[in-house]
Amino acid sequence: MPEVIIDGQQYEFEGQHKLLQFIQDLGKEVPFFCYHPSMSIPANCRQCMVKVGQYVKDRETGDYETDENGENVIRWFPKLQTACNIDVADGMVVHTQETDELVRRAQKDNLEFILINHPLDCPICDQAGECPLQIQTYKYGPEGSRFEVKKVHKPKRVQLGPRVVLDAERCINCTRCTRFTEEISKTHQLTITSRGDKNYPITAPGAEFDDPYSLNTVDLCPVGALTSADFRFKARVWEMNQTPSIDITNGKGSNIDLWTRDNIILRITPRFNADVNDHWIPDESREAYKLFNENRISRPQQKLEGEQILSSWNNAIATLTEQIEETDNSKILFIGSPHASVEENYSLGKFTNLLGLKQPVFTPHIEEGTGDGFLITDDQAPNTNGCRLLGFTELDGASLKKEVKKAELVVLLSDHLIDRALLSESDLADKFVIAFATNHSETTKAADLVIPITTAAEHAASYVNTDGRIQRTFRAKEIRYTNRRLDLEMSEGRLDRYGTNFDNWVTEDNKIDCLPLWSFISEAAKSSGLDLTLTEGREIMEEIAETLEPFKGVSYPVMDEQSGIQLSIKSKEKTKA
Amino acid sequence: MAYEFTKEDLKEIEKIKAKFPEVMPATLPVLWVAQKRFGHVEPEVQKLVAKTLDLPEAHVHGVATFYTQYYKEEKGKFVLDVCTCLSCQLCGGYDILHYLEKKLGIKTGNTTEDGMFTLNQVECLGACGYAPMLQVTNDKYVNHLTPEKVDKLLDDLKEGKEPEYEKIGMPRRKNI
Repeated sequence: MPEVIIDGQQYEFEGQHKLLQFIQDLGKEVPFFCYHPSMSIPANCRQCMVKVGQYVKDRETGDYETDENGENVIRWFPKLQTACNIDVADGMVVHTQETDELVRRAQKDNLEFILINHPLDCPICDQAGECPLQIQTYKYGPEGSRFEVKKVHKPKRVQLGPRVVLDAERCINCTRCTRFTEEISKTHQLTITSRGDKNYPITAPGAEFDDPYSLNTVDLCPVGALTSADFRFKARVWEMNQTPSIDITNGKGSNIDLWTRDNIILRITPRFNADVNDHWIPDESREAYKLFNENRISRPQQKLEGEQILSSWNNAIATLTEQIEETDNSKILFIGSPHASVEENYSLGKFTNLLGLKQPVFTPHIEEGTGDGFLITDDQAPNTNGCRLLGFTELDGASLKKEVKKAELVVLLSDHLIDRALLSESDLADKFVIAFATNHSETTKAADLVIPITTAAEHAASYVNTDGRIQRTFRAKEIRYTNRRLDLEMSEGRLDRYGTNFDNWVTEDNKIDCLPLWSFISEAAKSSGLDLTLTEGREIMEEIAETLEPFKGVSYPVMDEQSGIQLSIKSKEKTKA
Repeated sequence: MAYEFTKEDLKEIEKIKAKFPEVMPATLPVLWVAQKRFGHVEPEVQKLVAKTLDLPEAHVHGVATFYTQYYKEEKGKFVLDVCTCLSCQLCGGYDILHYLEKKLGIKTGNTTEDGMFTLNQVECLGACGYAPMLQVTNDKYVNHLTPEKVDKLLDDLKEGKEPEYEKIGMPRRKNI
């Protein structure tokens, strides 16, 4: 097998590799700025310089030539090479900054060059704390600058588009953003203008950077040149907790990270998953952080004389049980939701089973023509296939309306049917409507009893995307009844770990008074005298895997390990989604 | 003002495009066609070039701004690029520049009110042997400048007479 020697260590390899990627995959490091595994390699930051050579082979015998000390003769490349665009070859000898003084010097001097016109505004820069330039300057950079003249000034606070702000002075011209618009989003909206020390990325004159994927350039930017107009100056990165999750705004199930501080989701960034979204998410998926914070339902609410008033959990349980007991079984309609997780829908389904009622129905939330074939799908809900695999009856808008007409008691699971214009208020006027919901909407306004449940940011639950991949979320945000410090699965940021409950940056106000659906249903079942205890998403998923064929072999550990599991779905469902 | 290429321009552009396997490399020569036609490549002209070649506007903008020879704003009919790089400087490049400033009544970088002349200070144009020198609108060099030569040049240009191409032999040493 071909071999390569990196820093005196021998490694075997197969196939074609770029040296920088190969070194990274080994868990070692070479600093770089412009390289990105998903895009073309321009090698223009010149930071990943390494010393590369080849053992000299005797042409006739095929043996390695040795010098008088018996050591292999190495023929070095005449100059240092950029590791990002050189192919790993058999018998290659590589010295990185760890073993070679020349490489160390080259990287240090290169950083000094890059920093010549870079403003020293880290204390007010949004990128600080997650800035490759900052990190690598600490690690490999010079201690100071020998450059004493005035820095070149360029435009600052340029609103490139509705969501991205440019600070041209911070730019190091790695061209990651322009390559992103050329190669990934293919809108070709950005270019590098001017040249020499005056260049920076910009749109064509008069054009707006309104790419539906524009915010990915903010993540790509290795400095603080491109920042999110929305997240700008909201928080320092080291104050936040980062929790892996799944995008719930469309059917793609893009992998994301939720960034929280004091139980408010402040931003959403993409998380790498080669099988789903690579390194990217659409801008609208980032907007979703508002769903978790704003307009949330806290405490159950009941309609009394046409007005919704705050109620109590006990009352909510009692009302639900009472209504189910009082209403004729054939007149009860449970509506599941493609917007809710597999576990939630399953809990609802199991509850109806034990009560001897019909399985819940559901209506997919598909808006034709909104998808773009990349990461935005026609499907507006994250779990349409999950509902299908659970065996729920799929109804279109018209037949749902018919079903609702027949019913007297309608139980809704976080699906805003009136807002989706599937039902009108008059359809629900003479029924008793119980809505399990996360956010206030026209639909919850029409409900007689509103029971607040957790969002994807507050429970660990799984979603099946349009391609049939099941992936799960983690608890990112505390509810009134959980505690970050006691729940070992929740991430703790610096403020959580080193603060106390009496610190003024910790408030109880941001914790929503809601429950996971399964916890509420367990309570309700208990009061109806049913044997149903559902404690946690993890256990519910185990139960689903045991009882339902399509979910065989699915469990949280496997999902975590393989970042999601591909389920077999019918090809019809695949194309339809 | 809407810019349009004439039929002849479009014919020339087709010819240029035929030279390359792809459209992108045609950007530079087509920008020249545009600059010849309109005297500049303002954003509106860049847009026209992008539309004509079916390339992204941002790309054409990037190319146009990279090269100083493309004028991104309207300039005078004649652009005088006076070299003040080392050799010219030593031979009196700044004197010529200041003489021109005085004569035209404008500061470096500006255009005369009648729209005839734009005065620029530029770096080395590779004619150190003929210092001090200037270039007229990306084209002819005028060498070994003296105030008299400058006066004559301005008068000629005002009459629409462009300077002649000047052949200057390099001084050769005989006995080597």
